[in-house]
Amino acid sequence: MSEFIQSLVRGLGNGSVYGLLAFGFVIIYKSMGVISFAQPAFMLAGAVTVTYLVTSMNFYLAVIVAAVGVALLGMGVERAVLRPMIGKPVFVISIITLGVDVVIRVLVGGWLGLDVRPVQDPWQLNTVSLLGTEVQQRYLAMFVTTMVLVAILFAFFRYSRMGLAMRAAAFDQEVALAQGVSVGTVFSLSWAIAGALAAVAGMFVSTGAGVDQQLWIIALKALPVIILGGLDSLGGAVIAGLIVGVIESLIGTYGAGIAPWMGGEFSLVTPYLVMMIVLLVRPYGLFGTREVVRI
Amino acid sequence: MRGTRLRGRPELYTSYQQDMALLNTTPKKVFVGVLLVLALLMPFSVDDDILQLLATACVFAVGAIGLNIVTGYAGQVSLGHAFFVAIGAYTASVLSGDPDGRVLGFGVTEVPVWLLAAGLLAAAFGALVAPLAARLRGLYLAIVTLGLVFIGQFVFREWTDVAGPPDIGRPAPVPTLFGVRIDVDGEFITRVQKLYWLMLVVLVIFAVLARNLVRSRTGRAFAAIRDRDIAAAVIGVPLTRYKVIAFAISSFYAGVAGALLYVIPQTFTAGNFSLLMSVQFIAMILIGGVATISGSILGALFITLLPRITSELPAVLPFISDSATGGGITVVQAEAILYGLLIIGFLLFEPRGLFGIWIRVRNYWKAWPFSY
Amino acid sequence: MSVRRITAALAVPLAVTMVLTGCRAQESTAPQQGKEGNKVDFGVTNEPCPEAIDKSKGCIYLGTISDLTEGPFRALAVPITDSQKAFWKRVNQQGGIGGYEIDVTKYVKDNKYNPQIHNQVYQEIKPNILAIAQTLGSPTTAAILPDLKSSNIVAAPASWTSLWGFEDVLIESGANYCIESMNSVDYAVDKLSAKSVMAVHLAGDYGDDAAAGAKFAAEKRGMTFTDVKTATGQDNQSAAIDAIVSGNPSVVILTNSPTDAAVIIGQAAARGFKGKFIGTSPTWNPGLLQSPAAPAIKALYLQSGPWEPFGTDSPGHKAMREALGNIPSKNDGYTSGWVWSYPLKAALTKAAENKDLTRAGLLAAVKSLKSVDYEGMLPQGAGNYADDPNDAVFRQTEISQPDETAASGVKVIEKFFTGPTAKDFDFSKPCYQ
Repeated sequence: MSEFIQSLVRGLGNGSVYGLLAFGFVIIYKSMGVISFAQPAFMLAGAVTVTYLVTSMNFYLAVIVAAVGVALLGMGVERAVLRPMIGKPVFVISIITLGVDVVIRVLVGGWLGLDVRPVQDPWQLNTVSLLGTEVQQRYLAMFVTTMVLVAILFAFFRYSRMGLAMRAAAFDQEVALAQGVSVGTVFSLSWAIAGALAAVAGMFVSTGAGVDQQLWIIALKALPVIILGGLDSLGGAVIAGLIVGVIESLIGTYGAGIAPWMGGEFSLVTPYLVMMIVLLVRPYGLFGTREVVRI
Repeated sequence: MRGTRLRGRPELYTSYQQDMALLNTTPKKVFVGVLLVLALLMPFSVDDDILQLLATACVFAVGAIGLNIVTGYAGQVSLGHAFFVAIGAYTASVLSGDPDGRVLGFGVTEVPVWLLAAGLLAAAFGALVAPLAARLRGLYLAIVTLGLVFIGQFVFREWTDVAGPPDIGRPAPVPTLFGVRIDVDGEFITRVQKLYWLMLVVLVIFAVLARNLVRSRTGRAFAAIRDRDIAAAVIGVPLTRYKVIAFAISSFYAGVAGALLYVIPQTFTAGNFSLLMSVQFIAMILIGGVATISGSILGALFITLLPRITSELPAVLPFISDSATGGGITVVQAEAILYGLLIIGFLLFEPRGLFGIWIRVRNYWKAWPFSY
Repeated sequence: MSVRRITAALAVPLAVTMVLTGCRAQESTAPQQGKEGNKVDFGVTNEPCPEAIDKSKGCIYLGTISDLTEGPFRALAVPITDSQKAFWKRVNQQGGIGGYEIDVTKYVKDNKYNPQIHNQVYQEIKPNILAIAQTLGSPTTAAILPDLKSSNIVAAPASWTSLWGFEDVLIESGANYCIESMNSVDYAVDKLSAKSVMAVHLAGDYGDDAAAGAKFAAEKRGMTFTDVKTATGQDNQSAAIDAIVSGNPSVVILTNSPTDAAVIIGQAAARGFKGKFIGTSPTWNPGLLQSPAAPAIKALYLQSGPWEPFGTDSPGHKAMREALGNIPSKNDGYTSGWVWSYPLKAALTKAAENKDLTRAGLLAAVKSLKSVDYEGMLPQGAGNYADDPNDAVFRQTEISQPDETAASGVKVIEKFFTGPTAKDFDFSKPCYQ
């Protein structure tokens, strides 16, 4: 039982990180209809920034400053290379974000230097007792932080004027424009939110061992997650992230006992297998909007 | 009925056949002919290292044409192209491999045999995947096909009898034509020259086939599905059947490309067939021009030659330190950054790709000296 | 008709001139006469190097293909490359070789750890270089190996795969992963009285090679052996951690990346695992001593290595530290880059003695090398490329433990030794096969 709870908590923790990343992808998708391949670079940039900031300030402050910094970077990228592309084919824009990813990743990688850098988080590898089982604090921190961030964002979309504008723009850009919504600001803000979330996710991933250059690969896990949740569902992204995290973790714990043939790299394909199985039944993911077909 | 040509009126067609002809204007015929001659003479004028890049570009072009059929013409965005390339590469190398080697091999080394087999098996996989793909649209389809790439990599890393130890890989297909090895240096011509010709010929054959396909009934069905699938269904295009056909043909091209891709480096690993490769194929058709055969070829050339171009650039840019590892931005970092910047800049400048630039140039000269 | 005539009129002469005046370099296979009576063919010029110390000397160009921007081994590749630059600069300061200085700065290429890119940049620099000072990675080096062999190009690989011992053109240094983990297991048995061993490794030559060695040693020493494959990514280690905690072996042989290793060690320790970990040298990064896993690493982790770390007191190490000067991080990539350069220096010197600095001449010199002077960085007898693999393979490794006061974060606790397993091992094929 304690093994199960530990595995579950670990899955929820990692799953929250996937959820944060997926949330960023979905926000950008909803506003522009584009999959941004620049998210991995933002994640790495956030984590590296934190490692430099913590040497001179409080950890939480460092995370906030880093998130704001990456948010500004995201806004800058959107303004400089994506705004001119409005109305152009979405896959062309996606390939542009790929170019952005390469540029940022090489620069940040150079900044990172040669050694693994710690984020110096307060949780370390400390454990806390939960239902009689020792579980790591950092997984709980991941889960709680994600839930709080998501709740804040949902409140923002629901109750603020800007949130309303973003929902309107996601629903129909032209109509929103006609109603006086500044669609440009909506784009800017969605890139900022996505950047900030990626930075937080990057920091969380590095809590176990530190930041190295290969951190960005984890961001790719968000791709099957967003499809599983439904491309245009923010809640779906978070739930799917948790689902993938938990399934991965449970397969890691019990898979070798049940089916040893799966091998050590099986966890890399689990998210995709889960995604494919779900899509066989629900072609728009768990919570995606079914497209209305008309001629 | 074949229409007559009117001199000085290249855009005037007097029959449908004339309009839809493979090379519908005289200048096109001439230019294609000249280009072909130049391409054939290339091995006499450039060094082997460039020639090898060009040969690789030819192979990538075959794959890009395949992706353009399913993505550009039929509108089904696939990020799974690398998976089908992998199927082709492994089929060909298993068929032609050394029967006594440490990985599986059957010793059938004739190029046409393994080329066709690679294409057919990849096509079979394409047809197998298509029914699932036919249920999905847009980005859903893109990411599901991406799943194929990850699953394929997993399988080939585990299946060491076929793929060799992960990260060491297996030998590439052995090419012989009528019993003669073509991947060895001859007395007068090098192996790279021979292989370049082989790959160029394959490219020309498959480019012509693709061009013919897209101006056929099937090609028109693809376009109808791309433009509005519901409308296509209403006018009597069976959607699933044509999507299966599109995936199968596209995968056939991918398989052929996979079979030839590693003949020059002579060895390959499962890690080659990654998300990066799929994305590169997408970049090729976007940069070259969606739904054009010549665009696919240009895009493949561009993406294959881009790293070489960026490696020449730092020499002329003064602000980069010429040390490869010292402080500041090093040459190699500058190269990697330039690669990204060139892709961004290029698509910002002309989202329709190289083909778009060509259209602009052509329109400018058509109205010359009057601009509009 | 006019369009056709004009185009034809333009195209035909164009094509003809291209063919006739073509810029295709005629590959001169015939060796020429170089400085001091040396025979030379590729990559050796009478003109001085771009950064020559003595302008009267000629220049030998060596290529470097490494993972310098965005690949997974950048943290090792950059110091390796820098260290080799310093190494050859020192050789030049000491008078060069056979009337030549050696340049490793002009042809430095990035492979992004991608075999295809590796092959392409190799083709790009191939006409201009005599040999390759560094080809980093196993899948990447495998992608140019057939061409190296057919062109007689000698290359110093930056990896420790057991396959390289069977290739004449590759001049590897130190014990391979397979032997390294045999020695680690023997050490665990003899010094830590280990009863069971588990290999936690990546797939591929690096991990599989090490796991094969560990398995062989475990069988030989009558221990239970478990093989656990793991993937890269800090979030993908839970299966390995579960396997370690539930299997509870007395020693775990780790072959993966530094951060993944730290995740495994930290969490296994947090869950009560008390056994030891022994990692191979690419598993280590000095930055891990600041990670949350640092207490666990200091308590449980040992590190095997093909040579002693940065701060060691040997003439070679000293020369390296002097040549490098003030560097921000004392990573053992520097040590490796330096050690890997000695065989090529020895081969070039020998080839210059034979007055044959052609590619074939250099390869012949390599094949006659019975031992290389590593200035104390490797013991006597290392660097044998003349005898067959079983006799030539180098079987000694060392064991270190984490120590914050040491330059690269580890200090030696067991000097070079050959365990009983490695001593009797019949090295007749690569271990992972």
